[in-house]
Amino acid sequence: MSALEREPVGEGIRLRGVSKTYGTVPALRGVDLDIAASRFTVLLGPSGSGKTTLLRGIAGIERFDTGSIHFGAQLISEGSQNVPSERRGLSMVFQDYALWPHMTVRQNVAYAIRRRRLGSADAATQVSGALERVGLEAKAGAFPHELSGGQQQRVALARAIVGDPRLVLFDEPLSNLDADLRERLRVEIATLTRASGATALYITHDQAEAFALADQIGILNQGRIEQLGTPEEIYRAPATPFVAQFTGLAGSFAGIYVGDRDGYSQVRVGDHQFLCTNSTALAAHVKVDLLVRPTASRLLPIPDRWSHPESVSSGDIEATIIDVAYRGRGYDHVVDCAYGRLVSIFDARAWPRGTRCLLRIDPDGCLAFPRLMHQSGSNER
Amino acid sequence: MSTTAARAQTAVGDATDRRDILPSVGEALATPSDFTSQAVRRERAATRGWQRLRRVNPLTFFWLLIVLILVLPILLFLTVAISPSLLDQGSQAFTLSSFADALTGQLFVGFLDSLVIGISTAVLSAVIGFALSWVVLRTNAPGRRIWTGVVFALLLTPSYLIALGWERLLEPNGVLEVIGWDTTGLRGVFYGPVGIVIVLTVKGIPFAYLAISNAMRGLGHEYEDAIRVHGGGKVTAMRTVVTLLAPAMWSALAIVFAESISDFGVASTLANDSHFPVATYTLYNAIEAFPVNFPVASAVSWLLLVLVVLALFAQNRALRGRSFRVLGGRSRPAIRHQLGVPGKVITTTLLTLLLLFALGVPTFGAVAASLIDGLGSLAGTHQLDFANYQRVIGSPQLSQPLLYSAWLAAITATVTVVLAAVCARLLANSGTSIGGRILDLVLLAAVALPGIVFAAGYIFAYNLPFVNSIGIHIYGTTMLLLLAYIATALPSTSRVLVGTMSQIQESMAQASRIHGSGAIRSWLSIVLPITARPLLTAWLLTYTATLLELPVSQLLAPPGSEPISVGITTTLSKYDFGGGTALEVLAILSALAVVAIAYALFRFVAPAGWKNIGETR
Repeated sequence: MSALEREPVGEGIRLRGVSKTYGTVPALRGVDLDIAASRFTVLLGPSGSGKTTLLRGIAGIERFDTGSIHFGAQLISEGSQNVPSERRGLSMVFQDYALWPHMTVRQNVAYAIRRRRLGSADAATQVSGALERVGLEAKAGAFPHELSGGQQQRVALARAIVGDPRLVLFDEPLSNLDADLRERLRVEIATLTRASGATALYITHDQAEAFALADQIGILNQGRIEQLGTPEEIYRAPATPFVAQFTGLAGSFAGIYVGDRDGYSQVRVGDHQFLCTNSTALAAHVKVDLLVRPTASRLLPIPDRWSHPESVSSGDIEATIIDVAYRGRGYDHVVDCAYGRLVSIFDARAWPRGTRCLLRIDPDGCLAFPRLMHQSGSNER
Repeated sequence: MSTTAARAQTAVGDATDRRDILPSVGEALATPSDFTSQAVRRERAATRGWQRLRRVNPLTFFWLLIVLILVLPILLFLTVAISPSLLDQGSQAFTLSSFADALTGQLFVGFLDSLVIGISTAVLSAVIGFALSWVVLRTNAPGRRIWTGVVFALLLTPSYLIALGWERLLEPNGVLEVIGWDTTGLRGVFYGPVGIVIVLTVKGIPFAYLAISNAMRGLGHEYEDAIRVHGGGKVTAMRTVVTLLAPAMWSALAIVFAESISDFGVASTLANDSHFPVATYTLYNAIEAFPVNFPVASAVSWLLLVLVVLALFAQNRALRGRSFRVLGGRSRPAIRHQLGVPGKVITTTLLTLLLLFALGVPTFGAVAASLIDGLGSLAGTHQLDFANYQRVIGSPQLSQPLLYSAWLAAITATVTVVLAAVCARLLANSGTSIGGRILDLVLLAAVALPGIVFAAGYIFAYNLPFVNSIGIHIYGTTMLLLLAYIATALPSTSRVLVGTMSQIQESMAQASRIHGSGAIRSWLSIVLPITARPLLTAWLLTYTATLLELPVSQLLAPPGSEPISVGITTTLSKYDFGGGTALEVLAILSALAVVAIAYALFRFVAPAGWKNIGETR
C-alpha cells in the first residue's frame, strides 16, 4: 500500500439477481455485481442503461423489485427486508451537488458526521479536517450560493468523506462542471477517496473519466452488465460489440472469418485480408464484424511502386481523407475506404482533405465479433 | 376567500413538476426471520405498536384523512338531491324532483340571474384585465408599478366588504346623504344587477390580470414586429397580440365566471339588499329556512357545481391543445411603447379612476362611515369623530367577535399549513401515481366548490342521526366551525404550496437521508427551513382569508360565538352603520398588523440561512 492509501475500512458490496421495472420499462434485468472492498468501481454506460437505478437502489433511495444487496456480511435488502438509507453507512456525491442552501459550508459537512455521535470538539476537528483536505477551510462560513460550481462540488466531496463512511457513491459528479474543472476535481476525488480507504462506486457515461478513475469498470447496457473488469481488460478484450463500441471505435467492416494465423484471427473483407483478435470462439466461415479501434489505425503515404494485388494480406488499404480536425496535440482524420468510413484516425501532422493515402490496420487493435451477436447498441454498417 | 388563492394560481397555469416516487416514511421493516444481522435485528425490535403504522404508505393515510374531512360531508349532501330516502330526507329512493323544484320559481330566477351576472362580469373583467395588463407591461405609463400591489390587495379583500363600502355611501342615511347629497338616483342604478356586476368585476380583475399578464409577459415583441415589417398597422398588430393571448383570455373568462357565480359575499349583502336573487343566496335561504329543505338545497348546489366545473373545464381546455407556445429561449423582451404626454395623461387618469373605483370608493365609504358618530341610527351626533371606535373597543359584545375570529384563524392557519405542506409534498413527489392523481382531483374539485355549498354540506352531514349515534356531537360547536375552516382552506393552500414543494430538488432530502437522517428529521432540518418563506406566506394568506371568511362562518357559527364577519353583518343589519364599519376597519387593520409582525419576526428572528432562499440581489 502506498503512502497515499490507508488501511481499508470499506466493505465489499454484493448484488445478486437485482431487477427493477418502471411501469413496463425494465431498467435492470437480473444484475449480479461484486464490488471489491476499498476499491474504486466505476459503472459506465449510456443513459437508460440502468446505472443510475442501480446506484439509487444501493443508496436506498429506491427499492429493487427482486434481488439482494449485501454490504460485507450484512444483508441490506432482500424481499421485504430492507435497511433504510440512513442506516446503511453511506455517503453520496450528487450530480447537482445537493448542498443544503440554508446551511453554511461547515454546517453542511457537519450534518454528515452527526450520525457518529462524536463530542462537539471531535466533530469540529473532523469537519475542519475534511474541509482542509478539499482546500475550502477558508470558506467554511459561506453559504452554497456564494460558491462556484466546482467549490460546491468540493464541499459535497468533503461532506462525503467526513466521518469515514464505508461506501461512497458518486452520481455523475463531474457532469455539471466545466471541462477544465473536471480533470482537477477528478484527481481530488480519486486521491481523497482512496486516502480514506472507503469503497467507492461511481457512475458515469464518460469513457475517459471511467478509465482514468477505476480500479474496476462495469459496462452497463439496457439493464445488464455486459462486462466487468479492469480498464485494460475492457479496452483490450471487450466481451461484446457494445462494450467495444462504447469504449471507442474508429469504425467497423463486414467480413468473413477464414482461419487463424500467427496467433491472430484472419478476416476476409472484400479483396483484403486482415488480422485481428477476437474474444469469442468463431466457427469457420462465419460472418463477422471487424471493429477497429482508433489506436489501431495509421495513415501512410501511398508508395510510388504501389500496386493493389500485393497488398491483399498486408493489412493496408487505400483510403481518401474526408475531414481533418485539429485537436491541439495533433489532428483527427475521417477517412473513407472501400469498406466504410473510419473516424478519429490520429496523426501529428494534418493530411489535407481529398488526399489519397494508405490506411494501415494494426491487428492488436482490431476485434472480430460474429454478426449474430449484434444487439441494438452496436454500430453496424 | 378560501378558493381565491387556488383559483388565482389556476389562472396563471399550474407550474407543477411531477417527480418520481420518493420512498415513503419508514420503509417496510424487517419481518421476523432467522437472519441475524444487527441492523435487521434492530429493525425487527422496532416493529412494534405504533411503528407498524410506518409500513403504511403515508399517501394512503392522508387520503383517508382528506376523504373524511372534505369529501364525505359534501358527498352525503349531494346525494340527498337524488336519493332523499337514503338519508331520511324524504320518501323517494331515486328522484329528480328536487332538480325540478330548483329550476322553478324564485330558485330558477336566482339561477338565471347568477348566469347573467357571471357572464357579464367575466367579459368586463377580461376587457379591463387586458387593458390593465397592456398598460402595465407594454407602456411606460407612470404609476404602473403599484398595480401588482393593488391587484394583491384586491385579491385579499373580501367581496362583501367592498359591497358594504359602496352601500355605506349610497344608502338612505348613508355617508353621502349625511354630507347632503341625494343618492336616490345613484342608488336605483347601483342597487341591482349593475352594482353587483361592478363589485364582482372589481373582484374579478385580479384573476383576469394575473392570467393575461402572465401570458403577455411571455409574448416577445417579434410577432408585432413581423406584422409591422410586412405593412400592417398598429391595430392589426394589436389584434395579433389578442389572438396569441387567446388561451389566456379564455382562461380569464372561465375563472372570473366561476368566481362570480360562487360568490357569497356580494350575494348576501348587495344582492340581498337590492332584492335581486342569485343562486348562492337562494341556497343560503333554503338552508336557513324552517323546515330546511335539504333536497332542494342539494339540487341548487348541483347546479352551481356543474356551472363551476364546466367553467374550469373550459379553462383547462383553453390552456391545453392549441399551440401557442410563444414562450421560448428566442423570445426577446417586449419593448415598451413610449407614451407621449397626452398618452400618459390618459392612461394615468384611467388608472387612477380604476384604482378609485375598485378600492378607493369602498374604502372611503367604510372609513367615512366609521368616523361618523352613530351613522345609520337616529341617535348619535353624526359628527366626525372616533366615537364609533371607542364604542366598539369598549363593548365586549362588539369586540369579542374579532378576538374569536383571530384565535380561530390562527389555529386554522397553523393546522392547514402543516397538513397542506405534507399534502403538497406528497403531490409533488407522487403526482403521477394513481394515489397522487386522485388526491389532485379531489383537491381540484374541493377548490371548485363554492364555500356556501361546503357549509351546507357540513350542516347536513353533521346533523345526521347516524353521525350522532357514533358519538360525533360537534354540530353547533366551535370544533365544527374550525373543522370547516380547515377543510375549506386545505385544498387551496395545498395547491399554493405544490409549486414550492415541486421546486425542491429531490436530492435535498435524498442527501439528508443518505447521510444519516431519518425521514422525519430530514423534513424538519432540510425541507421546512428551505420552504420557510413560502410556508410563512401560506400561513398569512390562510390567516387573513379565514379571519374575514363569510359563508362558512355565517352557516356554522355556534350560538353565542360570532365570527367577525357575522358580527359585522349583524351590527350593520341593526342599522348601527358606524359600529359595523368601525369593526370592519379594525378587522382589516388587525389583519395587516399580524402580517407586518409576522414578516418582522421572520426578518429579525429567523436564522440567516432561512432567508437566503428566494432572495433577489
